[in-house]
Amino acid sequence: MTVADIRGDANSARRRRAAYVALRLSGVLLAVLVLGHFVATHVTTDVADTDSRFIDRRWATALWLIWDGVMLTATLAHAVLGLWTVTADYTAGGRRRLWRAALLGGAGIVLLGGLALLWLAATAT
Amino acid sequence: MTVAQFVFFCGFALVAVAIVAFGVVVVRSARRDDGGPFVSRALMARLARPGRDRAELQRWAFYLHRVSGLGLFAFLCLHVGDVSLYVISREIYDEVHQVYGSVPMRLAEVGLLFGLLFHTANGLRLVTVDLADLGLTGSTRALYGVLGISVVGTLVGAAFILGPVIA
Repeated sequence: MTVADIRGDANSARRRRAAYVALRLSGVLLAVLVLGHFVATHVTTDVADTDSRFIDRRWATALWLIWDGVMLTATLAHAVLGLWTVTADYTAGGRRRLWRAALLGGAGIVLLGGLALLWLAATAT
Repeated sequence: MTVAQFVFFCGFALVAVAIVAFGVVVVRSARRDDGGPFVSRALMARLARPGRDRAELQRWAFYLHRVSGLGLFAFLCLHVGDVSLYVISREIYDEVHQVYGSVPMRLAEVGLLFGLLFHTANGLRLVTVDLADLGLTGSTRALYGVLGISVVGTLVGAAFILGPVIA
């Protein structure tokens, strides 16, 4: 084993540890954000009343715009990190690379689309 | 049903197919690697004995955590899509959004709530197990709490979600 190999292992271990911690930190954050979102759209408001006028009111305040932006980013980060492990468990080789590319591509599209949506809604008025 | 509502329905069907397909992958892999998710008489006998034998439940929590996680991600993709209609056309958004108030979709939302509550509570249990080193018995006991929170929370939420259409 060369010095480069050992350093590579240390880097890889550091990356894995960062991913492990990020998965759990984003999870704790999402416990608040997502359940808060569900309560706001199903308990304090009936779901039938969450129409475009509800969104008008909601996205008129910076709090909900930031809430939704952070929630979207954290959810996608959490989903990519979690499903990264899932692909490691159930696939191998070229198929694993394919699923991971699809995962990153899909999550990237949803993230960009969602943030563009928030940006357009915030600047429209 | 309008065209936009039909497209949303197809998207929702895709989410359901993704959940079932992933569930099949998880169960088949479990049969190969973990001795199987079989609800056998031996398993029921183990679960009937309190204490360490019930740690077997944690394996099932692991499967449910995975499947619910994928389901939530799939639904998120659909949900970001339907909310995006808001900036394209408010009329089409409202049209698609009417589906959320329908009775079958409200039932699906109760299922979504259970998935959310279980994934959240079980995830927090896993964080706790990491930080506090609960041990086998303690983490199994915490799992009972997770299941209790999920079931009770879903029932309470169902009263709010289904209340307006039942009354």
